[in-house]
Amino acid sequence: MSVLELLPIALLGAVCGLDFVSFPQAMISRPIVGATAGGAIMGSAPQGLLVGVVLELLALDTRPFGASRYPEWGTAGVTGGAVFAAVGATRPGSLAVAVFVSLVTAMLSGSSMIALRKLIGARASAVRELIDAGSERAVVGLQVFGLTADLARGFLLTLLAVALAVPLARGTVAIWGLPATFSNAAVIGLAGAVAGGSLWKFFTTGTRTGWLFLAGLVIGLGVVAVQ
Amino acid sequence: MTRIHVPFLTRLVMWLRLFAVQGSWNYEILLGNGIGFCAEPALRLLPGGRGGDQYRRALARQSRYFNAHPYLASVAVGALTRAELEGVNPAKIERFRTALAGPLGSVGDRLVWSGWLPLCSLVALLAYGLGGTAGAVVALFLLTYNAGHVALRAWGLKVGFSRGTEVAKSLGSPILRRAPEWIDRAGALLAGIAVPTAVERAVGIGGEASAASIGAVLVGGVVLARIPNTSVGWRLALGILSLIVLYAVLV
Amino acid sequence: MPIVLHRIDDRLIHGQVVVGWGRPLGVGFIALVDDTVAASDWEQELYRMGVPPEMTVYFADAETAARRHAEWESDPRPGIVLTADIETMARLAERAPVAAVNLGGIHHRAGRTQRLQYVFLTPEEERGLRALAEKGVTVSAQDVPGGKPVPLADLL
Repeated sequence: MSVLELLPIALLGAVCGLDFVSFPQAMISRPIVGATAGGAIMGSAPQGLLVGVVLELLALDTRPFGASRYPEWGTAGVTGGAVFAAVGATRPGSLAVAVFVSLVTAMLSGSSMIALRKLIGARASAVRELIDAGSERAVVGLQVFGLTADLARGFLLTLLAVALAVPLARGTVAIWGLPATFSNAAVIGLAGAVAGGSLWKFFTTGTRTGWLFLAGLVIGLGVVAVQ
Repeated sequence: MTRIHVPFLTRLVMWLRLFAVQGSWNYEILLGNGIGFCAEPALRLLPGGRGGDQYRRALARQSRYFNAHPYLASVAVGALTRAELEGVNPAKIERFRTALAGPLGSVGDRLVWSGWLPLCSLVALLAYGLGGTAGAVVALFLLTYNAGHVALRAWGLKVGFSRGTEVAKSLGSPILRRAPEWIDRAGALLAGIAVPTAVERAVGIGGEASAASIGAVLVGGVVLARIPNTSVGWRLALGILSLIVLYAVLV
Repeated sequence: MPIVLHRIDDRLIHGQVVVGWGRPLGVGFIALVDDTVAASDWEQELYRMGVPPEMTVYFADAETAARRHAEWESDPRPGIVLTADIETMARLAERAPVAAVNLGGIHHRAGRTQRLQYVFLTPEEERGLRALAEKGVTVSAQDVPGGKPVPLADLL
């Protein structure tokens, strides 16, 4: 991919990555948004949405609190949507590869969040005395430093991820040996099972809403049968 | 108690800054510096003004370690700012700050991270499952979610300002206390409907293959639900997916 | 139902405790042991806001907590005992049977050295933890149920 093609994707990744924790947490970092937008930039929003839905199902299993290490879905969603649309939805294996690439990005991006927090921590220690003296410059400066670093993090990460993943994904899809129907159903089914299992656990521990979940399931299966 | 007046423009700037309250999140002071950053515009109203002695001491106090849910940090910013402007004694402000952090985190985690966010995500998945277009699904998600998000930040700052150190009473409002429970119920019902419909449309082939994948999802879901830890599902998915990719490339 | 967790966490009641541990363990009550909070109505009012309506919070100073410990142990609901610092937990452990202590979060302050992302300790606090362990209390750090428990030996 050329730099001109990569640039808008990387910028989108920067914005979605920044949204995940730093600003404005409006959940444009959710994969259903990021992947759709990533797909749209590469020419197909519906294809981006399909990746977004699969990742969103997986993201239901992770909640942004409590864990010291969690996947960062902002850059990952954008990467997944862009890779899928770039490789082409009709090629067997393209969905599996796009979701795979996206999950790897989410994992690496999660680690980059830890590095970012350490970097901000080091900067905070360096200006500690000024902050303790109530310096407006130091307080505002630290905030701006963190926001800028996070934006740069998302930009670089998405740039690298998409630049590496698109040729890799094209190569993989070229030698893909499973039928499209099977590989798509396997990926989507896997995500559905993860979401279902996680939600069931969530609604049956500590609350008594499990029966509502089951009632919903009956309705849901009914809707599917009618469709 | 002295009446404090914070001009509208100052409040607006504070509200806008609140969206970046986690901008310098780190393991040492968490979002502490963000609280100072958001409170700063109002601290300029202290006697001595911007850069004055009181201003500097208050800003330093507010920029220390703090942890809370980012949206409900707005309550803390409002209440702590008011306490500073009222000249509440620093030792009490420190204790108030400490006591405020945990409950705001807890309320926010229940209300937003394990309530409103998954609910809105499920609404979007259901919209997809029922045939929504890319634009419609994304717009529905962002508008629904942010109606709650933006309002919560504004509400927090407002009650923080109006109640100051008495803010616990507002947090104890029945609506806020009961909302997580209602959201849980709606989420549970919606989850059951949204997951199979979304999976069905995503697989998109209809007939027996579709039924087989839904069946596989149900069986897989039951198996995965037996794993006690949370947040292992996506890692497991990554592992299985690696095997699928490897197999598909080698056959 | 015994007390399912004795936890040291300077944030006391917050999301990790209420949702992270509370939900999977089905916790029905939290005993918040802190001398200052036990004497302060407005602080208690705030902490009470942090738990769901069906969860009870008991406030006690270390002395009272030691006396009521047996009563909490025999409560039909699972419960969590929380202190904000090591010293309070040590005082409780001297007078009541505490088998294991969970370090859930002790954060940055001048004089403390970082041990984990969520554990910072002064030399004195380290000594306090070692003393607890020498008395036969199992001390380990773990922020949430999904996290990896870190035994005291690996921490210091």
